[in-house]
Amino acid sequence: MIRNRKRYWLETGKAYLYLLPVLVILGVFTFYPMVRALHLSLHRWPLVEIPGRREREFVGIENYVNLLNHPRFLRSLRNVSLYALFSVPLSIFLAIGLAILLNQKLRGRALFRLAFFLPFVTPAVADALIWRWLLDYRFGLINYFLRYLGVDPVAWLTTPALAIPLLVILNSWQTVGFQGLILLAGLQGINSQYYEAAKIDGANAWQQFRRITMPLLTPQIFFLAIISAISAFELFTQVFVLWVGSPGPVASALTPVFYIFETAFRRHRMGLASAAAYILFAVIFVLTLIQFKVSQKRVHYDQ
Amino acid sequence: MIVIKLKIGALRGFSYAVLISGSILMLLPFLWMISTSFKTFAEALAMPPVWIPDQLIWSNFADGWAMAPFARFFINSVVIAIATAGGGVILSVLAAYAFAKMNFFGKNIIFMILIGTMMIPGIVLLVPNFLTIVRFGWIDTFQGLIIPWLASVFVIFLLRQFFMSIPNELWDSAQIDGCGRFQFLWRFIVPLSIPALSTAFLLRFIGSWNAFLWVLIMTNREEMRTVPVGLALFAQEAGIEYQLMMAMATLAIIPIMLLFLACQRQFIEGVARTGIK
Repeated sequence: MIRNRKRYWLETGKAYLYLLPVLVILGVFTFYPMVRALHLSLHRWPLVEIPGRREREFVGIENYVNLLNHPRFLRSLRNVSLYALFSVPLSIFLAIGLAILLNQKLRGRALFRLAFFLPFVTPAVADALIWRWLLDYRFGLINYFLRYLGVDPVAWLTTPALAIPLLVILNSWQTVGFQGLILLAGLQGINSQYYEAAKIDGANAWQQFRRITMPLLTPQIFFLAIISAISAFELFTQVFVLWVGSPGPVASALTPVFYIFETAFRRHRMGLASAAAYILFAVIFVLTLIQFKVSQKRVHYDQ
Repeated sequence: MIVIKLKIGALRGFSYAVLISGSILMLLPFLWMISTSFKTFAEALAMPPVWIPDQLIWSNFADGWAMAPFARFFINSVVIAIATAGGGVILSVLAAYAFAKMNFFGKNIIFMILIGTMMIPGIVLLVPNFLTIVRFGWIDTFQGLIIPWLASVFVIFLLRQFFMSIPNELWDSAQIDGCGRFQFLWRFIVPLSIPALSTAFLLRFIGSWNAFLWVLIMTNREEMRTVPVGLALFAQEAGIEYQLMMAMATLAIIPIMLLFLACQRQFIEGVARTGIK
C-alpha cells in the first residue's frame, strides 16, 4: 500500500517533467495573457505613456460600456455575424454535396479531392491576393466574363454592399474541400446495413438521404458548424489583403479582429482593444454554447 | 434492368459533370495566377485577356524577388515553420505520452484545462502577448515567432489518442526487460507513431507557413517578415503590377503545394481523422 503510494507520487513527479515545457509555454503565452487581457481591459492603457497627457489608469468597465455604444465596434460585430450567418451554412451545404459526389466509385476521385482541397492549404494571403486580382474592376477576369455575357462590370471591391458576400464566396472556395473531406469520412463510417435495410423496406434515394445519411452525418456537421463559426468570427487576413490593409469601403468589411488590430496597433489603445477582444470572446462563447445545446437535441451518435 | 443501368449512367454523368466543372472553378484562380505571373505588364492588363502569354517572362520572378527581400522571407518562413513544427511535435510527444501512458495527480483536470484553451480565440491573447514579447525584447526575433507556438493543444490531443491505442502490455514487458519510461517512449512509442507524428508535423508546418497576424504584429523590420506577411505588404506597394504580385504569390504557394502533393495521404487522412470523434 505504502509502496504503491510512493510509486504514484514518483510517477506524478515524472509526468510533470514531461508536461513541463508545454505547461511553461502555455502558462506564459496562454494563461497569463488571459488574465492580463482582463486586467488591461479595465484600464485606459496607451502603449506609450506621456505624463500629464496620456496616462495609464483604472477605469473599471468604462471600456466595455464605451465599446457597446461605439458604432464602429458594433458595426464590426454586425458585419461578422452576417458573414458567419451566410458563410457557415453555405460552405457546409456545398461540402455535403461534394462529399456525396465523392462517396461514389468514380474514376479520378483522388484528383477531384486534390483540386477541391488545394485552396485550403495555400496561404490565405496568396489566396486573397489572387481574388483581388480576379475582382479588379478594370482588368479582372470576373468583370471580363460579365462583359462577355453582356452584363455591366461590377465594382466588386468598392461597393460596400458586396464586401460581405465576397468574403462569403472566398471562404467557401477556401474551405469546401476541407469540409467535404471531413463529411466524406463521416459518410464512409456509416454502416451499409442501414441502407440495405432501407432498400428492403422500399425507401427511395431521397428518403434514404433524409432518414439515414443526414442523421448519421450530424456529428460531423455539428463539428464543422462549431469550428467554422468560430473561425468566421475571427476573420481578418482575407479582409486585410483584399482591401490592401483597410477594412473595406466605409468599413463594410470591418471585423472585430480588424477593429482590435487597428485599436491596439494603429491607435495604441491596449485597454480598449483588450475589452473588445473579451467581448468577442464572450460572443463566440455564447454562440458555441447555443450550438452545443441545439446539438444535444439534434445530433445522433451511432454506437 | 436497362432503365436502372441508364439511370445509374445518367447519375454518373451528372456527378462527373459537377465534379469536373467544380474542379475547374477551384483551380481556375491558381491557373490564372500562374498565367499572369509569366506575362508582360501590358499583357497582364490586356482586354480581352491573354490566356497564355506569348513569351514566358521569367524576369517577373527576378524583378519581384528584387523589389523586396523575398530571399529573406523564404529563409525566415522555412526556419520558423521547421522549428515550430519540429519543436512543437517534440514537446507534444512528451506531453501526450504523460497523458496517454502515465497515472498522475491532477491528470484529468489538467487535460480538461488544456482542451478548454482551444476555445480561446487567439485575438484575446494577442495584445498581452505583444506586451510580453516587447518586454522580453523578442520583437523582430526568431524566438518571438517560434517559442509561443511550440505548445499545441490540438497536436497533444491528436497524439494522445494515437498513443492510447498502443497496448499497455508492451510497456509491461518492456519494463521487465529493464526499459525506463523515456527509453520506452523513444524506442517503442515514437517508432510506432510515425504516421501520426508526420501528420502532426505537416499540420503544424502548414499552419506556421500560412500564419499572418502574429508575424505582422511581432515584426517591425522587413528582414524578419515571413512569406505571407512579406507578400501582403509587397502587394500594398506593387500598385497594379499584377504580373509581379502573381509571380510572388506563385512562389509563396509552390512550397506548400509541393509539400501537400508529396504528403497528401498523411495530410488528408490526418484531417479526416480530426473530424471523427
